Amino acid sequence: MRAWFSLASFFGGVMMLTAACATSEEWAEWRNHTTHFASGEHGMFSLRNNKDGSNPRVTRTDVEAARQQNWWGKAITVDPSQIFQN
Amino acid sequence: MTSRYCVTVGALLVMGLVFTVPAFAAPEDALMPLEKYTTAKAKSLATAHRRELLKFSEEIYNCLPWLSVAPGRIGFPKAKDSTTDDRYLSTWVIIDQREDPAFAALPQERRVSAMFSRYGVDMLRRMAALTDVLNDSGVSGLSVVLSWLKPGTSQPGQQPVNETFALFVDKGTIVDFLAKRVPPKEFTSRAKFYLFDGMDQVAGRVPLEVWEDSFNSTFKVANYEPPKGAQCQ
Repeated sequence: MRAWFSLASFFGGVMMLTAACATSEEWAEWRNHTTHFASGEHGMFSLRNNKDGSNPRVTRTDVEAARQQNWWGKAITVDPSQIFQN
Repeated sequence: MTSRYCVTVGALLVMGLVFTVPAFAAPEDALMPLEKYTTAKAKSLATAHRRELLKFSEEIYNCLPWLSVAPGRIGFPKAKDSTTDDRYLSTWVIIDQREDPAFAALPQERRVSAMFSRYGVDMLRRMAALTDVLNDSGVSGLSVVLSWLKPGTSQPGQQPVNETFALFVDKGTIVDFLAKRVPPKEFTSRAKFYLFDGMDQVAGRVPLEVWEDSFNSTFKVANYEPPKGAQCQ
């Protein structure tokens, strides 16, 4: 029984340490990279890029249009009254 | 058949009512309408500083296209549990971010710290730059609310969920924090904040860490052109 407990503790410890390392690395990666933006970026380019790839100007209107196209649906979000009083 | 159809439509309508959806607001629509305020003090602040708030809203709209302000969510609300009429200059932004494996791998409190460090601090800095507002004796402090897609919830056939972080801080603390006279740990200990997973408040105080992150003030969308006349800093 005691041997089983020791073995379980050992593997449990290894798993926790491994998870911590992975989290730490992934964390550093996210922290350093700045390309996570955004749901609409590819949409913007498909909207505005000319067929030859030239002059891909993006305006605020394009951003809105791309965002609407790429929006994944109505998100469940806290009601303002749970945070504020007007 | 008809009754089943009606039930389905009814259910969808109810869902539409229950699940609050922060849509995207144009600069003027982002300001809280005057008639929504419940006290004379709040109405007075909103009237006095309308021009500055509109300029601030335009700055977000034109210069930070990866953010959206929830309609009517720039203004002077007070915290939900406030028993006095302490008014905060507040901005609620929705961060446009799709699924990201590195972000998804973070535990929730790390996601909160990351989002607040990246967007929250910069928004507070921009609000603190509205000196006329900040110097108004009727303003107790600043508040920033951030919403983003909870990782793993935008799968087909699944209702997406937003995580929302709301922070309130008094004027003295935010000014000193931005001037580096108050360290991040002291700042977080003085601030009041809440975390919501969808509509549910996460119990307890999330362990918030704050660090330097210049993303929101330096990032540029490739080939993005702000409207003519927009002043982006």
